[in-house]
Amino acid sequence: MSWTPDEIRRGGIGTGVEGTGMSKILQIWSLSKTFPGQLALNDATFDVEEGEVHALVGQNGSGKSTLIKVLAGFHDPDPGHHVTMRDELFAMGSTQAAHEAGIRFVHQDLGLVEAVSAVENLALGFGYRTGFGRRIKWREETARAKQALLDLGFDINVRVPVAMLSGAERTGVAIARALQDSEHNISILILDEPTASLPGADVDRLFEAVRRLKDRGISVVFVSHHLEEVFEIADRVTVLRDARVVATRSTSELDMSSLIELIVGHKVTAASVDRTIDASSAPRLAVSGLTGLGLNDVSFEVRPGEVLGVAGLTGSGRDTLIPSLSGVIDRFGDVTIDGVSLPSGDPGVSIASGLAFVPADRLRNGIISMMSVRSNTTIADVKRNKTGLRLNHKKEKAEANEWIRSLSVVTTGSEAPVSTLSGGNQQKVMMSRSFRLNPKVLLLDEPTQGVDIGAKEEIHTFVDSAAASGSAVVVASTDSAELARLCDRVIVMHKGAIVDTVLRNGGSGAGSMAERVDQVLLAGSSLVTHK
Amino acid sequence: MSGNTETATTAARPAGAPQKSLLAKLGLDRFSALYLWGAFMVIFGIWKTDTFLSVASAKLIMGENVAVGILALAFLIPFCASTFDLSIGSVMSLSVVITCFLSDEKSRSFNMPVGYAALIAVLACMCVGVISGFVVVKLKVNSFIATLGIGQVVSAIVLKLSFNRQITGTFSSTFERFGRGDLLGIPVVFYYLAVLGLICWFVLEHTPVGRFIYATGGNPEAARLAGVRTNRIVWGSLIASSTMAGIAGVVLSAKVGLFTSATGPNYLFPAIAAVFFGASQLKGRPNVGGTFIALFALAFGIKGLQLVVGTDSYWVNPMFQGTTLIIAVALASQRGVAKLRKRKAPAAA
Repeated sequence: MSWTPDEIRRGGIGTGVEGTGMSKILQIWSLSKTFPGQLALNDATFDVEEGEVHALVGQNGSGKSTLIKVLAGFHDPDPGHHVTMRDELFAMGSTQAAHEAGIRFVHQDLGLVEAVSAVENLALGFGYRTGFGRRIKWREETARAKQALLDLGFDINVRVPVAMLSGAERTGVAIARALQDSEHNISILILDEPTASLPGADVDRLFEAVRRLKDRGISVVFVSHHLEEVFEIADRVTVLRDARVVATRSTSELDMSSLIELIVGHKVTAASVDRTIDASSAPRLAVSGLTGLGLNDVSFEVRPGEVLGVAGLTGSGRDTLIPSLSGVIDRFGDVTIDGVSLPSGDPGVSIASGLAFVPADRLRNGIISMMSVRSNTTIADVKRNKTGLRLNHKKEKAEANEWIRSLSVVTTGSEAPVSTLSGGNQQKVMMSRSFRLNPKVLLLDEPTQGVDIGAKEEIHTFVDSAAASGSAVVVASTDSAELARLCDRVIVMHKGAIVDTVLRNGGSGAGSMAERVDQVLLAGSSLVTHK
Repeated sequence: MSGNTETATTAARPAGAPQKSLLAKLGLDRFSALYLWGAFMVIFGIWKTDTFLSVASAKLIMGENVAVGILALAFLIPFCASTFDLSIGSVMSLSVVITCFLSDEKSRSFNMPVGYAALIAVLACMCVGVISGFVVVKLKVNSFIATLGIGQVVSAIVLKLSFNRQITGTFSSTFERFGRGDLLGIPVVFYYLAVLGLICWFVLEHTPVGRFIYATGGNPEAARLAGVRTNRIVWGSLIASSTMAGIAGVVLSAKVGLFTSATGPNYLFPAIAAVFFGASQLKGRPNVGGTFIALFALAFGIKGLQLVVGTDSYWVNPMFQGTTLIIAVALASQRGVAKLRKRKAPAAA
């Protein structure tokens, strides 16, 4: 069974899929997957062309991961589907079948053994080449690993433990490991959220590797929440919503807003921020001479109702500013809220003085995963619901449920373990923990990383309301569009110092606020020499 | 919003989760100790009807396990904050030896009223907790290592005080009545355990302090950043555990009235076993109720087996404690069971 590209373009097979004229390797029709009580994938149509980069996008729970897991053979699909691989019928349902068909997977957690070298990680998936007496031929193994990584554009030391490599390099090792196989003709590599935990510069290196794979004729399917990446690297994009494939389009015929509309299912109009900040009012947060990990004599002030953005590359100080202010890491310098000085490294006192913050590393510094949504919400001020000696569980539950409602957290209830929530909803719990304190100063570090686009907009709205209620807000983010959406003023950091300030209204430079932030970021080092 | 309702179903039922298994419906995971207890009652009740199913043996089991029970509470409090206190066995010995030593009429220099002796014993144990806390919080020694070492030091002090001999305290009859009498047909010491258990339960489940202890245990860094004074919690929990171990020693003195070198260590494992086993009961985290259920499930099982084996039963206790702990915790760990099942499925490529 086969169709010519022309027939497909004419819609002859009723897929509505528009091809780019290349030959299709993998074609899937009417693929469904039912879990007890839930249709996780509903009549999906999907195809992969030879040598293309194909992005898979959709909100959390839209069916992306189900599609990938069915392809990988982790789940059996419902009967009635039709799948071909290079025009031959392809029976899904086992990892073996996917492997033999030449489909390879790199999952988000990479699955590397962190304590051993790249050479050994590659050999683990493949077996060591041994000589006499089953002696491992280390030199050969090393050369092979080196070459495999060079082919992907990574010139790295393959003998050091992979834990010492950067995020992109580790992803590279995982890709190299997935691809090392001479027996099968590898045609498709599937990357599940490869960029979720990578800083900006690493994303570029990873995309370089993806382009090299493409040149080798390997198709790459990748899942991402970062839509700008879709436009940067992908040839085509498939959008899932509510377990259905809603569209497969060429990226050249889409723009950001039309893609978002496809994902969310309705038009999203970014609320235009219109805040009036009383410039004469005393600063709520005053930071002077802040010095610490990656920070050198940083000073700034934030007024009540103002949202200050912090931009900068990884290592510029952008990533350590909020941890230093909030007590994750120790600092020197004066930090005051309404004139009251905050001690370094004592979050308890800082919180009592009106500070609240949402850390970037949610799992390590934020969520207490074994506790319920309720306990996680109220932990920063448990005593509020105390009557006498006793904690009033009823009152606390009611309060937690109130927060669940007002931030539309998706959960089975206030007593559900917070670990059962999706990342975006855990982030909302972190938000409610902070908002509940009615903070004078709210610090947000990467508030929407790993959060789907719907929840992202909701979180942005909460930030607006916090500012409207008179909090001074500081947002550190790698996402310039996010900073432009939220902030009245963005400070740009480089080598531990503030090198420039971008204002929402006025200021130098042309273009939108996001563009101006990006311009300054790119100019980075030259700015320092100016000063 | 449509996106929300869709994710709601996902959250309610994680993708790929099978329908509630029979195992889950029976609650074998969260109530395994209760089932086990019931099984023991039935088996040994049929086997040794007249001896096992008697009021006397029930009273015996209740009385015998009070010291272990208090020690289990002592282990539980820091354990909820993910802190080990392995010194409690030795600390209990210290309490017994001080109580007996100070009130021993042969050592003429002291011959103290037993009330004072007991108070000094508990205070001394509290001091051990202060030191453990210092080592763990200030010197940043892992609590497992710190309390293991401190336990050895305390053992050394105990041996020095007792000259490795048996000490018999000479207690007033009032004190002995506190340890050996019955109240409403139940051994009076059992009430101490009940009261201490209630206090621990109230503090852990119904006060902010309890929330802070569990938060510290769940994710110390996140708890600290949320304003919980985790150092104080850890330090305080170690003082509480030592104090509790001291109380266990006083109760044991009143009940048994003498010190032997085997006093402490023999009580440590059953206490730890009860906490670990109990942590899988009722709530899926260490808790007072689960600890007590586990403690008495094991105690009744051991008593039954001892009656069956007869005179030669000295080995029964450790054998039983060890095996039931492992089996029960393995059964309770749904993940472990699921893994066994999964081995049939092909390994991921």
